[in-house]
Amino acid sequence: MSEIKVVTNILQTNDEITSKNKKLLDEKGIYVINLMSSPGSGKTSLLERIIAKLKNDINIAVIEGDIYTTKDAQRIEAQGVPVIQINTGGACHLDAEMIKGALNSLTLDKVDLLVIENVGNLVCPAEFEIGEDIKISVLSTTEGNDKPLKYPLMFEKSGAIILNKLDLIEFTDFDKEEFYRDIKSLNANADTFETSCVKDQGIEEICSWLRSKIENKKSSVK
Amino acid sequence: MHEVSIIQNVVEIVTEKAIENKFTKVTKVSLRIGELSGVMPESLNFAFKSCIMDTLLEGSTLEIEKVKAIGECIDCKQEFPIDHFNKLCPCCNKFCSSIISGYELYVNTIEGD
Repeated sequence: MSEIKVVTNILQTNDEITSKNKKLLDEKGIYVINLMSSPGSGKTSLLERIIAKLKNDINIAVIEGDIYTTKDAQRIEAQGVPVIQINTGGACHLDAEMIKGALNSLTLDKVDLLVIENVGNLVCPAEFEIGEDIKISVLSTTEGNDKPLKYPLMFEKSGAIILNKLDLIEFTDFDKEEFYRDIKSLNANADTFETSCVKDQGIEEICSWLRSKIENKKSSVK
Repeated sequence: MHEVSIIQNVVEIVTEKAIENKFTKVTKVSLRIGELSGVMPESLNFAFKSCIMDTLLEGSTLEIEKVKAIGECIDCKQEFPIDHFNKLCPCCNKFCSSIISGYELYVNTIEGD
């Protein structure tokens, strides 16, 4: 009997495809967001508002991930930007292979910003790299401020965290102080934003933050 | 986490290595799993039992070594244990500059004939 050293990453297949996706997107200087949250926290609504403000001077493309239906893709398409819908048919997250397929169907040459809206799920999407520059997670006030501690990984790995549905906070017992304290303990380096889509609040802040991220990425390839 | 698909990947990786090393049978598989990875050893064991049937791994045992989560503070040149909810440097109380270990998910060694 003999022992062999293997030392191989169990997710190597996903990671290899992720690197290829990332290389392609880096070469084109496209800033890529992996947008994650629970179902119904407002990812698509936020995206609609952000697209409306950015689309005149920034070329945006979107990949929508859902288990079934093209409902989200239709909403994004109505904003006049190219969108690819991925239906996972049951899988609870997007993986690198699915993104590779979607990238083949998009014309990437003029794209500045690619937003990948992951399947609504506070757990699994955080575990799979897909070729993004940043993970952004959204939490809505109606979900309760206890979620970051209950589902730490997503908030731990996010470069930015958006607190959405601020207009509803007065109808909930959402404790903002506790929320920010918890987020700091998980991930002190994340940028944070507060938004309300119905009141068009906080969207401009996100957009100007995004503009500088996109600019940085672009200048990295020049 | 996705313990079944993780184990399917493990079976694939181990089978490839076993063939490469001319094993006819794998007797033991050792994994290293980080504390922060979100993977449950119990579920891995359960998935392992079903997924190794009719493979070179059939009858083998699964060993799971947990890897401690360690953070680093660049200012204090310190390495220290962290968890999801506490990543502060014990010297200066600043948030750790980088996470050195804790997210591992890999096949470490295999034994066989």
